[in-house]
Amino acid sequence: MYLGGGSRACAGVLILYVELLISQGIIVLTRAESKESIIKIDNFRMDFGHKTVIKDLSFEVKKGEVFGFLGSNGSGKTTTIRALLGIYQPTGGSLLVEGKVFSVSSGIRLGYLPEERGLYKKETVIDIMVYFGQLKGLSKSDAVQQANAYLKRVNLSDKADTRIDKLSGGQQQKIQLGITIMNNPELLILDEPTKGFDPVNRRLLMDIIEEHQKNGTIVIFVTHQMEEVERLCDRALLLKDGKAYAYGSIKDIKSKFGGASLDDIFLKVYGDENEASGEDL
Amino acid sequence: MYNLGTVFRFEVIRSLKKKSFWIMSLAFPLLIGAIFAVIYFSNQATDQAANDTKNQKFSLVVTDKSGLIDKQLLQQFDATESDNKQASIDDVVNGKVDAYFYYPDNIVDSGVEIYAKDVGLFDDGRYEAVAKALLQGSVSMTVDADKTAVLQDRVSFGTTTYKDGVKFDGIQQAIIPGIFLVLFYIVIAMFGNQMLVSTTEEKENRVTEMILTTIQAKTLIIGKILSLVTLAMIQISIILIPILIAYAFMHNQLALPGLDLTSLPIDPIRIAIGAVIFSLSFLLFTGLLVAIGAIAPTAKEAGSFFGVVAILLFGPLYAATLFISAPDSPIVRFLTLFPLTAPIPLLLRNAVGNLSFIDLVLGVIILAISATLVMLIAVRLFRYGVLEYSRRMSLKEIFRR
Repeated sequence: MYLGGGSRACAGVLILYVELLISQGIIVLTRAESKESIIKIDNFRMDFGHKTVIKDLSFEVKKGEVFGFLGSNGSGKTTTIRALLGIYQPTGGSLLVEGKVFSVSSGIRLGYLPEERGLYKKETVIDIMVYFGQLKGLSKSDAVQQANAYLKRVNLSDKADTRIDKLSGGQQQKIQLGITIMNNPELLILDEPTKGFDPVNRRLLMDIIEEHQKNGTIVIFVTHQMEEVERLCDRALLLKDGKAYAYGSIKDIKSKFGGASLDDIFLKVYGDENEASGEDL
Repeated sequence: MYNLGTVFRFEVIRSLKKKSFWIMSLAFPLLIGAIFAVIYFSNQATDQAANDTKNQKFSLVVTDKSGLIDKQLLQQFDATESDNKQASIDDVVNGKVDAYFYYPDNIVDSGVEIYAKDVGLFDDGRYEAVAKALLQGSVSMTVDADKTAVLQDRVSFGTTTYKDGVKFDGIQQAIIPGIFLVLFYIVIAMFGNQMLVSTTEEKENRVTEMILTTIQAKTLIIGKILSLVTLAMIQISIILIPILIAYAFMHNQLALPGLDLTSLPIDPIRIAIGAVIFSLSFLLFTGLLVAIGAIAPTAKEAGSFFGVVAILLFGPLYAATLFISAPDSPIVRFLTLFPLTAPIPLLLRNAVGNLSFIDLVLGVIILAISATLVMLIAVRLFRYGVLEYSRRMSLKEIFRR
């Protein structure tokens, strides 16, 4: 569209004015807020017998964003993810991915790296990668192709026919990551992904997250590594006692706590909790 | 059943790739063959040694108060007679003679006394063999051959029975329906431990969550069951195929007995009932294994629970004669209708033909309901239990989820 000189000047002033309002926090505009919600969790409640783990939790994750799901041990992060992925049946509320309850046959390409992870130890690297690739909907030839391409990328091509239990811990982590991203997931859920990772694999993970973010993949990053959240996430939710304690853009959360770093916020929110609370729920 | 084929192929192929599968499969027939060979050669050697022993010559003194021993026979054994029992025993003690046999007045009440020089554990048996040969040989000389055969239980009997005006052979009738009982035993023996290992594998390797987000728990379980059934059939084929080939091509050379299956009676109703009971029992058993595997943190711990299930399943075999002789007794009916013990009594009583209509109907209904319930519970236990990687979950905890 052609704009004349007067109009162009007008538009320029308008843009400057809007930018001023944004800089002053009068207009809050984040990249994600303009996008469609892919994950919608409404009034999610989870009881285990008489114990309520999650109480009326609601939040959304939008297309193309990296979402930080934060909380201390036992706060209910893993339970929420398991319920979202249909492993647990929620006691109440709804957990929807693209408007429907997630199931293995719902056609959503999922990459999930659980907190508790491992591999079939007696099988070879290529067999395991191809098996998971096929379970994720790839044809055998595509699964073989993707597996080989990934092994080449992480310099493990020579280990394709090696049994998993003959690999080092770091090499096994690389294979787990490779399996997670097979079939180019549109939803990537990483539960404490850097737990136990060496610096090389941590770097690899960050690269993978950034690549997928660029390709429009939704990434849910479950962690208590605040530095990584600050660097990678668009928005986050802090879960405490089964409720959303803080939820919004990283900037919003920081402003709520007087501009402190996420690390300080985490300590402030969870510092009073018993550190030895046991395994995650 | 999304991805069922993928799970099935993966489970079958990876087992076939394992050396341990082939070692286990081949070890069984080889071991059985080796045991039979050892028994055969051992029996042959023992028979030969026994014959040699019986024919061995030794100096012998005999006192016959019974009057049954034939004098001519004594001469054939180069035996000398004596009236002095104690002196003859002393001769043995002092090494003057090898053996002394004393046949008392009433041999039935008192028994034959043998005193002899020790020539080793096995060779000492020759004395009794000769004493018996002397007695039996002497008596048979006084009785005709047919009577001797009767007394020695060497007469064969052939029984023909009729049911509803038709020739009926109870044992032959039981053979084909009885196959389901044998099959159930084989499947559990070959399949039980593998199923436990297979069920706990995801948990032990911590791959449960990655798996359960790509496939439904019930699809995974069904895929595993189908693969294990296929593997069991492959193992059975590995055992049977060499036997069938040997029989087809070498039964003349190996002097194997003729096999005529055409005379076996076929009762389609009893076979169909056997198939139904077998299928339901298999489902119940598999459900129990999955449930145990889901609760226990490791295959090793699951094994101890499996022991209890195995006792319940196979315990009734010890009462097998009772199932045949007293099918209406309360204990038989209880074992037939109690879900965990029902498979063996139902299959056995169906095979021998004494399963009443009411017990059949009740038994099948109870088995069907319990197999379905156990399988549903097992899937739930698997779904939640396998997420507990390092501890055993209580049923209460699982059902709270």
